[in-house]
Amino acid sequence: MKLLNPYKSLLICALFGLGLIGCKTRQSEEEPKKMAIVVSTLNNPWFVFLAEQAQAKAKELGYESKVFDSQNNTSQETDHFENAIASGYDAILFNPTDADGSIVNVKNATAAGVPVFCMDREVNANGAATSQILSDSYSGCVAIGKYFVETLNKKGKYVEILGMVGDNNTWNRSKGFHSVVDQYPDLKMVAQQSADFDRNKAMEVLESILQAQPDIDAVFCGNDAMAMGAYQALVAAGKADHVKVFGFDGAEDVVKSIQDGKIMATGMQFPVVMAQTAATFADQYFKGERKFPKKMPVAVELVKRDNIENYAAYGKED
Amino acid sequence: MNLALDKDKLLRFQSLIALFLLCVGLSILSDKFLSVSNLWNVMRQISVNICISTGMTLIVLTAGIDLSVGSVLALCGAITAGLLKSGIEIPSDNLYIGFTVLGASLAGILTGSALGALNGWTITKFKVPPFVATLAMLTVARGFTMLWTKGFPISGLGDTFLFLGTGWFLGVPVPVWISALIVVLAVFITTKTRLGKYIYAIGGNESASRLSGIQVNRVKIIVYTIGGALAAVGGLLVTSRLDSAQPNAGVSYELDSIAAVVIGGTSLSGGRGSVLGTVQGALIIGVLNNGLVLLNVSPFWQQVVKGLVILLAVIIDKANSKND
Repeated sequence: MKLLNPYKSLLICALFGLGLIGCKTRQSEEEPKKMAIVVSTLNNPWFVFLAEQAQAKAKELGYESKVFDSQNNTSQETDHFENAIASGYDAILFNPTDADGSIVNVKNATAAGVPVFCMDREVNANGAATSQILSDSYSGCVAIGKYFVETLNKKGKYVEILGMVGDNNTWNRSKGFHSVVDQYPDLKMVAQQSADFDRNKAMEVLESILQAQPDIDAVFCGNDAMAMGAYQALVAAGKADHVKVFGFDGAEDVVKSIQDGKIMATGMQFPVVMAQTAATFADQYFKGERKFPKKMPVAVELVKRDNIENYAAYGKED
Repeated sequence: MNLALDKDKLLRFQSLIALFLLCVGLSILSDKFLSVSNLWNVMRQISVNICISTGMTLIVLTAGIDLSVGSVLALCGAITAGLLKSGIEIPSDNLYIGFTVLGASLAGILTGSALGALNGWTITKFKVPPFVATLAMLTVARGFTMLWTKGFPISGLGDTFLFLGTGWFLGVPVPVWISALIVVLAVFITTKTRLGKYIYAIGGNESASRLSGIQVNRVKIIVYTIGGALAAVGGLLVTSRLDSAQPNAGVSYELDSIAAVVIGGTSLSGGRGSVLGTVQGALIIGVLNNGLVLLNVSPFWQQVVKGLVILLAVIIDKANSKND
């Protein structure tokens, strides 16, 4: 490689400094393509797993990739997008922090010619992303709701533990569940509290709820970490045998607990499928394919004791 | 001197009154509040915050602050859990080292002390403001937690270890014993020892303390080390209660802890306050958390109420210190 002569480079620097020119990636054949994997948070094993799977698939397809952690912060996500676009990533496999707040980021990337493939969580703008491969949380919780009604024999008192109250997934899951359960007037929700998708908070919240409502029959939790926390609170209160716990995610702890008969059911999401599909779509995009389904729902499957043998953590048994 | 003592008593009184009013209000609103099992419940829930906040009180008394407690808690909990669960493997020597509950717990506490000492060292050696030094540690310790756990919880730690967080001893939950022991030690240090006098003196007037021959830097390093060690103890309790070390444990615990210190009447500018005040502050927060859930108050409103209580406490504290 030959260096530019000093005058030329000075001129370029000056123009760049004055904001007159910027960087643009050259799409040459010999340069290998790179994928940026921007995930909402790495503070939650589920998303770590999603990112790892996307990275593994990208590697398998022969691409370099890097994971960016938005730390549940949309403005940090914006920085990651700008950096990824500026440093010449050719596609973004994206797990948004916020369905509305992330729209701008997606639009900026696609406007710069970088395709965006959303995984698991969606952005609320039709056609902004190249394709969205989404977990169908709502329908998954409808299935959990139906099983909930069935196991409780249509009557009883229950507690709902919500995730973060500012998060779309929290309400998608809650609404799916209530769309079924609210049709049965003998099923009474005696408390609805948030525990921020956190195991410790869920335990503390349920401990307090149990003081006010000692005779509940079931707990529905917005994710599996909270289901484990709720279960722990029930064990400590000596009520684990007759209170039924329901979760959502398909995390390792809960899959094992369903096997052991400690937790009733969970909604299994398929991060492997979503991550691999996103990476595969990006690969096809590089090879010239431009037609992708705008939205591709990935079903959430109800996992309970009598079908648990078909499942492992975060997916189907191999 | 006499006047200062009266003043301290008054400050302690103020949060006691608030606590009392809160309890009276809650027992009228909910018949479940004043039950023995609920009171143990509240005590057990605040024990982690009391551990952290006791250390935080000592630090704030020197006019410092420690924002890293939540991350240090997570890292120490994770290290203990990891050592308990899988030990250390040295593949080159084909060596495997397993850890007992005591060994793993000590390793966690030592890590916390080391991180605390590091905080104190950067603050005193490089004159980095405590806010900045511990903010950096907050990020670094969280990063190491992620590296150590690879982002996944470490669960299933065995019954012996679970006793620490879930067991009972002489009719009192073990975490309550532990936090009570820590409070007693801290009260002893602050009121009966030379170290305690130095802590207050440094917070009151650092340059005067230095001139009068107090080794200010050494005292500060000791105080931050204690803070780190107590955060580690909190980490052990959280990990043991959950039977799992969560990579995101302790997020925003520094805020709850600072809130307890401030509500308890310790001045953020140092030199004034007490460990017992902080215990009352932690009780107020714990009772409030518990009461709001007992009454099934919407999660949106809970945050508003908690914020207003903190604000009110600081306003009253300000008004008090003006009367000096």
